[in-house]
Amino acid sequence: MMELIVFVISAAIVLGGALGVILFRNPVHAALSLIASFFGVAVLFVSQEAHFLALVQVVVYGGAIVVLFLFVIMLLGVDREEDITEEPFEGQRVSALVSGVLIFAMLMAGIFLSGRTGDDAGDFGPAAISGSSGQVVPLTEEQDVVQLGHDLFTRNILAFEATGLLLTIATVGAVVLVRNRGAEDLVVDEPGTSSR
Amino acid sequence: MSGTFVTLVAAEIERPSIDWHAIAPELILLGGGALVTVIDLIWLERVRKLIPTLTSLVFLVALIPVITLWADGSGLPRGLWIIDENVPATGVWEGAFVVDNYSLVLKGLFLLSAYVIVLLSTNYMSEGDYYDSEYYQLIAASVLGMLVMSSSRDLISIFVALELVSIPAYLMAAWRKRDLKSNEAGLKYMLMGVFASAILLYGMSLLYGIAGSTLLSDIAAAIDIGESRPVITLGIVFTIIGFGFKVSAVPFHTWAPDTYEGAPTPLTAFLAVASKAAGFVALINVVIVALPTQANVVEPFIWVLAAITMTVGNLIALRQTNLVRMLAYSGVAQAGYMLAPLAVYDGISDRATSAVVTYLVIYAAMNLGAFAVVIIAARKTRSAELSSYGGMFNYAPGLTLAMTIFLFSLAGIPPVGGWWAKFEVFRVLTEGNRTSGIALAVIAAVNSVIAAFYYLNIAKQMWFLPSPDGDNSRIAIPPALLAAVGLTVAATIVSGVLPGVVSDMTDFVNVAAGQ
Repeated sequence: MMELIVFVISAAIVLGGALGVILFRNPVHAALSLIASFFGVAVLFVSQEAHFLALVQVVVYGGAIVVLFLFVIMLLGVDREEDITEEPFEGQRVSALVSGVLIFAMLMAGIFLSGRTGDDAGDFGPAAISGSSGQVVPLTEEQDVVQLGHDLFTRNILAFEATGLLLTIATVGAVVLVRNRGAEDLVVDEPGTSSR
Repeated sequence: MSGTFVTLVAAEIERPSIDWHAIAPELILLGGGALVTVIDLIWLERVRKLIPTLTSLVFLVALIPVITLWADGSGLPRGLWIIDENVPATGVWEGAFVVDNYSLVLKGLFLLSAYVIVLLSTNYMSEGDYYDSEYYQLIAASVLGMLVMSSSRDLISIFVALELVSIPAYLMAAWRKRDLKSNEAGLKYMLMGVFASAILLYGMSLLYGIAGSTLLSDIAAAIDIGESRPVITLGIVFTIIGFGFKVSAVPFHTWAPDTYEGAPTPLTAFLAVASKAAGFVALINVVIVALPTQANVVEPFIWVLAAITMTVGNLIALRQTNLVRMLAYSGVAQAGYMLAPLAVYDGISDRATSAVVTYLVIYAAMNLGAFAVVIIAARKTRSAELSSYGGMFNYAPGLTLAMTIFLFSLAGIPPVGGWWAKFEVFRVLTEGNRTSGIALAVIAAVNSVIAAFYYLNIAKQMWFLPSPDGDNSRIAIPPALLAAVGLTVAATIVSGVLPGVVSDMTDFVNVAAGQ
């Protein structure tokens, strides 16, 4: 019962924050309501006893990433109200809404129609997806940080190292792309293979 | 204090020893890439000219353990760990990283393609005003992602490898940063790629939710229920759509032509060959290893993708007047042929895998060759327009002959390579006499005829039409580019005349079980 109450409240915060992101006219407000959404997710993690993930969610997403968003917004100087009644592309809103609703309906139908259908083939419905049917390995007495470290440095060591390289190389590339040697202008048609 | 710490760690992690030989190619590439970076940082401009040579050496050195692993086939398949029966937690360690004949062939393909790409890039990068050392570091990182991809049998490592392949490529596509078209290329590629990754992750998370494990073999076991369920179908469809973007299958190909045209041409060759092959490897791993029991969902979906990919790609390629764009659309169409065997993989997954990998190997040789000729020609004509290839026979007969070989191969005309690749695909499609396979074979045959028209049109331009500006001065071909053309011509001819060379290597047994 307690879990349900926590879930309903935090789910409302998650959804409310997400709606705020797309409905607020001021980009700064949108970024701030993204924090609300991240906090809701963090609470959900706590209720699943994934304390470390909850912490990371707040520190990394709620802290670092949204601050980065705000930096970009301030740097580009778009911290004013946008007229969101005008569509950048004609029909964009309508098609986004229609496809969003369709995908949502498809997912919901997919998950709920996959529940137990009477045979022994197994349950692939909401219980299985959310892990409450017991298919997901439950946490042992070990703290989740220990388990996470265990997983990262044993089974997923290769992916972990590859991610490290990925971040390094992305930094190198980003520096090259934004570096400006003196006052160089854009050349629209550099000699090369492009011709138009 | 430290003693307690050590015992604590020892109690927590009983790690089997690492099989260094099995991951030697990846480690050499990682170390080599780091070495290139450090050398570049210390000596800056003084070693700038050496960086491409050094990078290509790293690729060749990384090829050595691939060959020794292949020669020492007795211990295959191997994993990241040397499994010791005395260690109780064995089950946890197995299966995420598999080194078998299939992954070794692909690693060889990726390393050799990367070597040729460096040859193609050397002059292009040093003559333009680019940051070239970083370019080679990014290439090395991307190729490392491809090597990891060949061995990945786990959703997490597949995803990380795919990002490691793609993110350097997004950056390199925008490398001509003072050219608006290149900016567009990079941005478009990144936005579409990130979008595809999001869809892919959604599909993967559904599969993980069902199986409770990211290991492909565990997923296969969890969904082996003799029927399909909507949520499994959703997971599969989202995952395949994600890979569809990476291999530029229609209707997820929209980024490809603009990106190919705007990116530096050597990088275009990289995207069209190596990066696309990596996408196919990911698709094969997931389909063959994780979804052998879901053929009734996967096959029709891939069937439709393959059919529209080859048809739309060829029809649009027909109308192109820019050779790079034409090669981009022809690459889309070729992806359709490569998808085709996966539309009939049920029960013959090894044969289907062999056919796709054979196609990838031969396609790499002929397409890299075609791009090499485009790069050489652009040094003189400064253009990739089809008309600028007129009269090339008069001033560059050798180059014209090489390009003709590549074009014949792309069109699938014997005796050069491409026919064998197509033949393998047709053989798999008609195996088992299934209506769907034969229908797809018919569509592929019709498409081959359409494709032959525009490929041979390029050849006609080069052999028979006059030079547009009457400039018949010869082209000076730098040694690196000459080597690239030489290597790809040799590979294209050998794979066509002696198809056994390729098919002996790509004759896989039991890919799904990791051998």
